[in-house]
Amino acid sequence: MAFASDRTAVASRPRISTAALRSAALILFIALYTAFAAGPFVWVASMSLRTTTEINADHYAFPWPMHFEKFAVAWTESNYDTYFFNSAAVVLAAVAILTVVGGMAAHCFARYRFPLKGVVYFLIFSTIIFPPQVTVIGLFQLMVDYGLYNSRIGLVLVYVAIQLPITIYILEAFFARIPGDLFDAARIDGYSEWAIFWKISLPVALPAISTTIILNTILLWNEFLYAVVLITDDDKRTLPLGVLRFMGDQLEDVGMIATGLMIAIVPVVLIYVFFSERLIQGMTAGAVK
Amino acid sequence: MAIPRDMNAPATALTDVPPARDHANPRSAIAAFLTPALLIYAAFTALPVARTFFNSVHLVVPNRPDEWVGFTHYAELWTDKIFWKAVHNTLTWAVAAPILEVTIATLLALCLYAKVPFARFLRVAWFTPVLMSYVVVGILWMWILNYDWGALNEILRGIGLGGLAQPWLGHPATALPSLIGVTTWMWTGFNMVVILAAMSSLPSEVLEAAELDNCGWFAKLWFVILPLIRPTLLNLVILSFIGKMKIFDLVWVTTRGNPLWSTETVSTYVYKRAFQWSEFDLGYPSTIAVVWFVIVLAGVLLLTAIFRQRDRIEY
Amino acid sequence: MTGKTLAAATIAALAAAAATGASAQELTLWSHWADQTAKVKFVEDAARAFEAAHPGVTIKISWYQKEPLYAALKTALSAGQAPDIFYAETDQTEYMKTGLILDLKDKLNWDAIEPWAQEVWGYDGGVYGFPLEAWTVETYTNEGMLEELGIAIPVDGLEGEAFVEAVKTIAGAGMTPMAQGVGDRPYPGAFLTHEILVKRLGKADYESLLKGEGVEWSDPRVREALEYAKEIIDAGAFPASFSSIKLGEAHRYFHTDPGAAMLQMGSFYPSRAFAAPDAGGQPENFALGIVNGPIPPDAACPQCKTIAVGGSFVVNAASEHPDLAVDFLNSMATPEMGNAWLEANLVQTGIKADPSAITGDKADYFKKLAAANEGVTYTYGIPVQQMHGTARETFTQTVNQAFPAGLIGVDEVIDMMGSSY
Repeated sequence: MAFASDRTAVASRPRISTAALRSAALILFIALYTAFAAGPFVWVASMSLRTTTEINADHYAFPWPMHFEKFAVAWTESNYDTYFFNSAAVVLAAVAILTVVGGMAAHCFARYRFPLKGVVYFLIFSTIIFPPQVTVIGLFQLMVDYGLYNSRIGLVLVYVAIQLPITIYILEAFFARIPGDLFDAARIDGYSEWAIFWKISLPVALPAISTTIILNTILLWNEFLYAVVLITDDDKRTLPLGVLRFMGDQLEDVGMIATGLMIAIVPVVLIYVFFSERLIQGMTAGAVK
Repeated sequence: MAIPRDMNAPATALTDVPPARDHANPRSAIAAFLTPALLIYAAFTALPVARTFFNSVHLVVPNRPDEWVGFTHYAELWTDKIFWKAVHNTLTWAVAAPILEVTIATLLALCLYAKVPFARFLRVAWFTPVLMSYVVVGILWMWILNYDWGALNEILRGIGLGGLAQPWLGHPATALPSLIGVTTWMWTGFNMVVILAAMSSLPSEVLEAAELDNCGWFAKLWFVILPLIRPTLLNLVILSFIGKMKIFDLVWVTTRGNPLWSTETVSTYVYKRAFQWSEFDLGYPSTIAVVWFVIVLAGVLLLTAIFRQRDRIEY
Repeated sequence: MTGKTLAAATIAALAAAAATGASAQELTLWSHWADQTAKVKFVEDAARAFEAAHPGVTIKISWYQKEPLYAALKTALSAGQAPDIFYAETDQTEYMKTGLILDLKDKLNWDAIEPWAQEVWGYDGGVYGFPLEAWTVETYTNEGMLEELGIAIPVDGLEGEAFVEAVKTIAGAGMTPMAQGVGDRPYPGAFLTHEILVKRLGKADYESLLKGEGVEWSDPRVREALEYAKEIIDAGAFPASFSSIKLGEAHRYFHTDPGAAMLQMGSFYPSRAFAAPDAGGQPENFALGIVNGPIPPDAACPQCKTIAVGGSFVVNAASEHPDLAVDFLNSMATPEMGNAWLEANLVQTGIKADPSAITGDKADYFKKLAAANEGVTYTYGIPVQQMHGTARETFTQTVNQAFPAGLIGVDEVIDMMGSSY
């Protein structure tokens, strides 16, 4: 890469050379960063198709023959379908509730004045930073009292609670930037406060809402600590625990671990590849006006 | 706890009023909007947090009534060398990571903003790391940083720098920087997407005006684009800062604070004291959490103040 | 046996009587070993047999990895939601201290348990755990590699400089002398040093040193022992990747790739090494030897070594069916079950068993293990099981990791350990 850019620089006339050099540097930077960002993924993908013996012989060889059957083995032998379903159900429910509940609260903080508003906002926001390792104990005791311990519904509510502050924080900042005139006009048109929220705040804030949805989905999909502590039944466990089951602490079965990792990664990556265009459009289209 | 209950009162009153007409009564609208969030907050956040503050001044052992110990935990913490080591590591991480992540992310976003070819592919490729859980990332990077066959050492040997090959996570001098590198790898793509979205939503007139003024690209970036997306950058820096201030999973999967506490973070230390050390007392770890909470809060307020201050000066 | 049958019959009758009231009894058990199939099968089989003998009783077992199990137990015990029976190890004295687990002294069938395993679970006059798993610290050798290098290590271990020379020879040939690492456990790196310490000090003084009850870390004998260990470390005993090698990796490093001359490991070695080669187990025809660790000069007790009680089951003091839980444990406390454990898991047990009854391809391994443990004097528990709090943490970070990794020297170890009590 470095050679290529040198040669371009030498061969070109001085005027163009700075531009060529710059674009070569740009391409080099992009290429290097892409290798850095995606390389590990490619590597684990190749290992997921190889047996441990093959990997131990050479960690970087091309996966040939491809052992696709490893995926079937990993899926069937490790209860992955259950974990996968649990993760999907819990995360979907939590993100849906978060978006509505968080949106309502953020709208409220952004649009209305009321006593103790600053205090309430500060209280909610400050919990973003509380180390979760310790609150988890009080939380556990409460979950037992509520009868929500070892239940997926309980996990959903806890997930809503831990992501609520950041959701409100992001949405509030965005709602606050929506011009007040818009709301005054709506009120004059006879919109109720509810209608204003549903028909104006939410649609206008779609970019910010997309941000919170993707952020919450990613963080909750990968959440680990609360899932470990609040769920004990194997058939209620979520995916990150399933992945750890592959890792085990027994053997370094690198090939099988890689397959397990791929099963955890691929669905999310596919969803992202599929929805990213729409997501980016949502995040960019008329984000301000 | 008084706050949610206050908010409840208007909420029950709401049932008497037809929802369609409630805009006549902002109080009930406020209550209706806020109550669900406050209920969840009170039940699943405020109570456990209150319990932590309570724990921090008590000896909390099962099967025994909690015993008031005043501020002895706090005094003990003051002389706890491992705690201060953990504070140092975590602060290093929380300061270095946002700078690295947001800076690189801005550069990458500019590349895509400049409409390089394969932008769509690149965006996906760069974003991929953040889709993985810390568990997955931890396992993967332990392989990459493996001394004998890890990719990093293989590359170094391949380009004739085999002398630099080392057990990256095994030496106190390189373990923390390596982990900071891992979080940077993981989160830069996410920051890039958000920054790109902010850039794309900039009013095109402003940029065209800058174009007409024959602005250099650096000047355009520095004087036009960055100031306009400052709120986004602020959010990202704070998000990253907070995430690193409580980082746990990655350290736990990879180094567990080893070697010689060089990757010990406050969260792993809290966890060790609460669940690992053979002591049931939850009071002392709660004290660490409380003290840390105060430090993090101060950090966030400071960051916000710095950014807000500069905003005020410039506009 | 008749007493037990009677008890079983009584319980069965009670269960039948209660059946109309739909009050079937459920015992819950949480255990480590989620991915150790032989151990899972052993306990599950015992549970199914117990259920068959006690109609109306079901035993629900949740299998965990160690970390998540400990986290879940800590919270569950605090909230009174813990299972009837759970996995514990002998270092968890906090359970006894806080009265969270049942004293089994008058309940368990101790005649079937090894006296030392009973002693290890003793606390304040009571006995608290059912010691299912036990292991010794062994030095496994790669006989093929040693032979190639012309090194012979007697079963009792090499003495003084002879061991240092062996390490130098191996390292000089470009091989790794010892394969262990500390990537995911707080103890394998310390095996070398603490086995030297116990041999140099003798059992009583060694235990006093660990517990901080008399012998100081600044004691000249301790310094000599550490200096001897340092000599071995400086001869290049451990691989460069020592700090990050995990337990499973250490096994592979030792027997497969790139291969090492020795691996100091708990005798739970077979649970990993005897898996299929493709799943990370040792290659077929691997020439495995079992010897004792290096003996320091002026050793007070050259035959001293460590035996540890590993995975044990304890009964929750808050259990609603304590007697039933104890009955279940007793159903495993028989010589037959002890032998079944040995045969399935190839690791010792606290249940009295007879390794010589084991035949077939595993008999050879047991013969080697028995030879390495003939006439030895045991200290009970590795250091992290005998220490607590800051001392334990400091030991983990220094003697287990930084010292063998060559990051710190003898003075720092003495300094840091001395100030940690």
